[in-house]
Amino acid sequence: MTLQIIDNATCTFCGCVCDDIQLHHDEVRIHEAKKACVLGTAYFLNHTAEKKYPDALIDGKEATVEEAVQTAATLLHEADMPLVYGLSNTTCEAQKLCVAMADQLGGLLDSHTSL
Amino acid sequence: MTCTLGEVKQRADFIVYWGGNPAECHPRHFTKYTIMQKSKFLPRGRKDRTMVMVDIRETKSAKAANIFLQVKPGKDFELITILRALIKDQQVGDEQIAETGLTREALDDLVQRMKSCKFGCFFFGMGLSMTRGKHMNSAALLTLAAEMNAFTKFVAMPMRGHGNVTGADVIMRWQTGYPFGITFNRGYPRYNPGEFSTVDVLVRGDCDAAFIIGADPGATMPQPAINHLKRIPTICLDPHVTHTSKLARVHITTAAQGISAPGTAYRMDEIPMPLKPALKSPYPTDEEVVRRINEAIAQKPFWLPEGSQPQMISTQV
Repeated sequence: MTLQIIDNATCTFCGCVCDDIQLHHDEVRIHEAKKACVLGTAYFLNHTAEKKYPDALIDGKEATVEEAVQTAATLLHEADMPLVYGLSNTTCEAQKLCVAMADQLGGLLDSHTSL
Repeated sequence: MTCTLGEVKQRADFIVYWGGNPAECHPRHFTKYTIMQKSKFLPRGRKDRTMVMVDIRETKSAKAANIFLQVKPGKDFELITILRALIKDQQVGDEQIAETGLTREALDDLVQRMKSCKFGCFFFGMGLSMTRGKHMNSAALLTLAAEMNAFTKFVAMPMRGHGNVTGADVIMRWQTGYPFGITFNRGYPRYNPGEFSTVDVLVRGDCDAAFIIGADPGATMPQPAINHLKRIPTICLDPHVTHTSKLARVHITTAAQGISAPGTAYRMDEIPMPLKPALKSPYPTDEEVVRRINEAIAQKPFWLPEGSQPQMISTQV
């Protein structure tokens, strides 16, 4: 089977964010990440398009994304001082929405930088 | 006082890594940007560049360096302060130098090299910024870099770890004016690390809910902080079921950035890079889930009583 090739893909494992990686994939998993370092190769090869985990968990039980979204919104809205934390391994677009969430909730906002 | 990695690649003939281990943590930093590249201004590549490694132990990165300076643990601030004095030809006692674990000859040589280079760059890692002195160490090194500009071009840049942590700083600065450790509890952003930074908030038990995205505090934070996350309702978004997911009330699986989620990520020198996802994920992206949660929150009444607006800075006493 021939693999599809993506040139100049971006690796987001470490802060170098190398943007010259060549990925060889078959739509389910990435088989090769050319030019990537050991850390980047592990990052690309360990993520697949398979469904390994449940969509969502509420109190440890499987749930749909919509149920989880509603529960999350209720829990965050009920809180007096909610904390929005992390934001490292995600895209800038999602980070911007997280800032909006903290603003909307009147909560705390923090990233890995403070650790 | 910083620059892009492109400038370092083209021009930096003197590179200092301070308190980091790029050989193992940023494996392509040497080859792609710093010591190995040939350029118009440094045609002989590695031979035209000098690399100094300052660290408390001899890591793999030290083997790549021309000069390795083993500083005593917790003495980085003292060493930087001594260097700041030496570049200005001020007197420094033998006792002060001995305290750092280095010799006067080594420091005189370093100062001479720093002054005679054409373009110097400090890269500082968590070994400097997260040990005794913390941000005061970073501030001291940035001051040293600034003061070196009286003699030659010198810059400093932090070695950022996790993927898009630089992006988090940039986005928060853009949206709120502050990079991290922010609260909106008066309706406008306020910044105070130590009061609003996560570890402190969790250890004191200040917050009563937590929304965790793109991080795994359940594996990395001190135990008292993890215990508080267990006590309060925690919501976790991650491509995997992590330690944090296991203690969380709600976990939502999302697509991994750069693998199956598109978007933008910032490099450590604050250059934004578009992501090129290779795979299609069965899970929604972080962006989509956060938007849906925000919409669900917007359906509920605003957190301040009806009619009351966020208190503006201009009306504060």
